[in-house]
Amino acid sequence: MFTKLYAATWGEVGKAKDKGFFDFDFFSWMAWTWQTAAFFIFIAICITVMLLWEKKVPGGSPRRGILGLDTTRGDRLFVSLLGSAFIHLAWLGLVGSLLWIATIICIAYFIVVFKYV
Amino acid sequence: MNKTINQKAWLFVIPVFVLVAFNAAIPLMTVVNYSFQETFGNNVFAWEGTRWFKQILLSERFHAALGRQIAFTFIILLIQIPLGIGIALTMPKKGWGVPVCLILMSMPLLIPWNVVGAMWNIFALPDIGFLGYTLNAIGFDYNFTQQPGDAWFTTILMDVWHWTSLVVLLSYAGLNSIQPAYYQAAEIDGASRWATFRYIELPKMKKVLTLAILLRFMDSFMIYTEPFVLTGGGPGNTTAFLSIDLVKMALGQFDLGPAAAMSLIYFFIVLLVCWVFYNLMMKNEAQS
Repeated sequence: MFTKLYAATWGEVGKAKDKGFFDFDFFSWMAWTWQTAAFFIFIAICITVMLLWEKKVPGGSPRRGILGLDTTRGDRLFVSLLGSAFIHLAWLGLVGSLLWIATIICIAYFIVVFKYV
Repeated sequence: MNKTINQKAWLFVIPVFVLVAFNAAIPLMTVVNYSFQETFGNNVFAWEGTRWFKQILLSERFHAALGRQIAFTFIILLIQIPLGIGIALTMPKKGWGVPVCLILMSMPLLIPWNVVGAMWNIFALPDIGFLGYTLNAIGFDYNFTQQPGDAWFTTILMDVWHWTSLVVLLSYAGLNSIQPAYYQAAEIDGASRWATFRYIELPKMKKVLTLAILLRFMDSFMIYTEPFVLTGGGPGNTTAFLSIDLVKMALGQFDLGPAAAMSLIYFFIVLLVCWVFYNLMMKNEAQS
């Protein structure tokens, strides 16, 4: 199923593609790549972990954090993910290369948000 | 008390999941996929990494469109919110005037966006439109198809005409929910009209006004149809707000990759603003 998931290369532009069993139009229309698939799998894992966490410690552990906002675990995940998007964008706009440093900053940001916000 | 556990309710949620998947999740995933690739159509894609994001973030064109968008949104908020409150304050509280005012106020809200655009386009044409012709006849050099200032003036006037009523209706509902006892207390204390407004009416309207500002912010930040029909983003690019510029890039130039990157950045900005307003509303909720 995932054999056609890789992005095409410039050499393949314009060439006719063989159709595999799972390579129906709906799937190819979405233009999946393994990188973006990995990103969405990561999001799905995040949500699953939140679900399991909620099963284990119900209630979402609400508290008032350093921003003065009443947050639950879900809010913290949202703030972390949205903040990470902005950190990555800011890094791309201001620095431009070595994007993995932004990712490391985001991991630290995640920890800070889940501990204090 | 023991609650019986019944998970059947989840079955009723399935249609919503399917609907959201098809109208939100799958298109959004596709936009994410497009934003990292280049295509010339025919379902052939080539990986480009973060190139489009970098290009959009550094592009003058995006900065200009974002600047215009923010300017437009702030101008219409600055006009519509005070004007809406003002009109709501002068509207009658009882009698035959109430339904008349309410119906008159909701009329512009019922007109489809593209009709509003077409109406204002004809209304403002300098040679045959009532507004355009009159302005020129009394000595103003007005032509919204050629002068950027006039195009902005017309777009803002159109939006104010179309959406101020929403603020009016919300504020009116907020004003009507204030108990008469507050006004009586203010009268006994000899409060001025301004003091009554500042210390009774405005705090009581805080909730609906936050909602009004959020709705007007979002609507004007995503505005497309009205300026598209009225000015088409012109003259030049002077009224090309974010969504107009986005459609130009995606469909006009078929630059799907950069357009996808731009729409994601646009989406993140919208999400951030929504989150801020949501928290403001929740804070209001907690206080009252």
